Amino acid sequence: MYDVAIIGKGPAGISASLYTSRAGLKTLVIGKKSRLINAHKIDNYYGFIKSIDGRSLLEQGELQAERLGVEIIEDEVLSVQRDSVFEVKTSSATFLSRAVLIATGNPPRPPLVKGAEQFEGNGIHYCVSCDGFFYRDLRLGVLGSKDYAVHIALDLLNYSPNVTIYTNNRPLELSDRYLDGVKKFTVNNKAISLLDGNNTLERIVFRDETHDPVDGIFVAEGSASSIDFARKLAIAVEADTIPVDQYQKTNIEGVFAAGDCTGGIKQIATAVGQGAAAGKSIVEYLNKKKEE
Amino acid sequence: MNVKVYSTPTCPWCTVAKKYLSSKNIAFEEVDVSNDRTAAMELVRKSGQRGVPVIEIGDNVVVGFDQSRIDSLLNL
Repeated sequence: MYDVAIIGKGPAGISASLYTSRAGLKTLVIGKKSRLINAHKIDNYYGFIKSIDGRSLLEQGELQAERLGVEIIEDEVLSVQRDSVFEVKTSSATFLSRAVLIATGNPPRPPLVKGAEQFEGNGIHYCVSCDGFFYRDLRLGVLGSKDYAVHIALDLLNYSPNVTIYTNNRPLELSDRYLDGVKKFTVNNKAISLLDGNNTLERIVFRDETHDPVDGIFVAEGSASSIDFARKLAIAVEADTIPVDQYQKTNIEGVFAAGDCTGGIKQIATAVGQGAAAGKSIVEYLNKKKEE
Repeated sequence: MNVKVYSTPTCPWCTVAKKYLSSKNIAFEEVDVSNDRTAAMELVRKSGQRGVPVIEIGDNVVVGFDQSRIDSLLNL
């Protein structure tokens, strides 16, 4: 059991971990490489006489955190759920924690396939635990090609045995953990032309002019984002960002957010500052919980 | 005013909605649509979509936990 699980190992997540670990909290940081790794020259961050590249800055941050006792794992977080504590599921393991910080950045969402918007809530869905039961024993599809898609497809088996993964012309990119799981499903690699129906989704039409009848599609393209975690935890979302107060608290007790996923100015300095505030708030929150 | 909450046990926003109504001392009838196909179809017919929570306040149907609309309909 960790005191805090930090999702995202960019500047916001690592900055927060410095504060939580120095306060004696058992801290886990999980994430994939930050997009900052692509920045080749950074000149607007405090304290560097010469330019620094994103990769070096990230590496130094991680080394600093590890020196202070933070455990850092490079992995993809697939879901976060709350029971009595938080359960953070990755491609390779499940971790428990008392508090969670979402610091996943805000990568651009892939565009939806044509016709999808028309059926949102009536055939196009994002949250299995919210909407899966409407499709008990019906024909289901998952749109995606990575671990997250298989994770969602496996969840859907609780509602229907008839689940197909539609990759929309992308190759499957799965970690070892999902190579067996994906065998439970038909995988359709055809390029999708549009989603079609009347009041509700009825069929998925491919570029080769064939189609599959389908009652519901759950979107799981790319990796799970801050917005996907928000849906599962009932965190308020505004314009694809997570609103927080000045202490980086979300509307859900024990869940904090920092960095680009909260909107606002997308700068390293801002992310580091928000991470620091979140780290301090998490320390205060967990100390109060201990006293209760 | 009659208040009815269509929900499922696994839906996080349903929990938030029910807690909110309770915190405001609003009595409501809870309908677990995961175990009641007829109620689920009733929800789809009334709200025009397949998602929970759906909160029926008198003759008004609120899709999702739309706090400002709930507040306005219940004069909170």
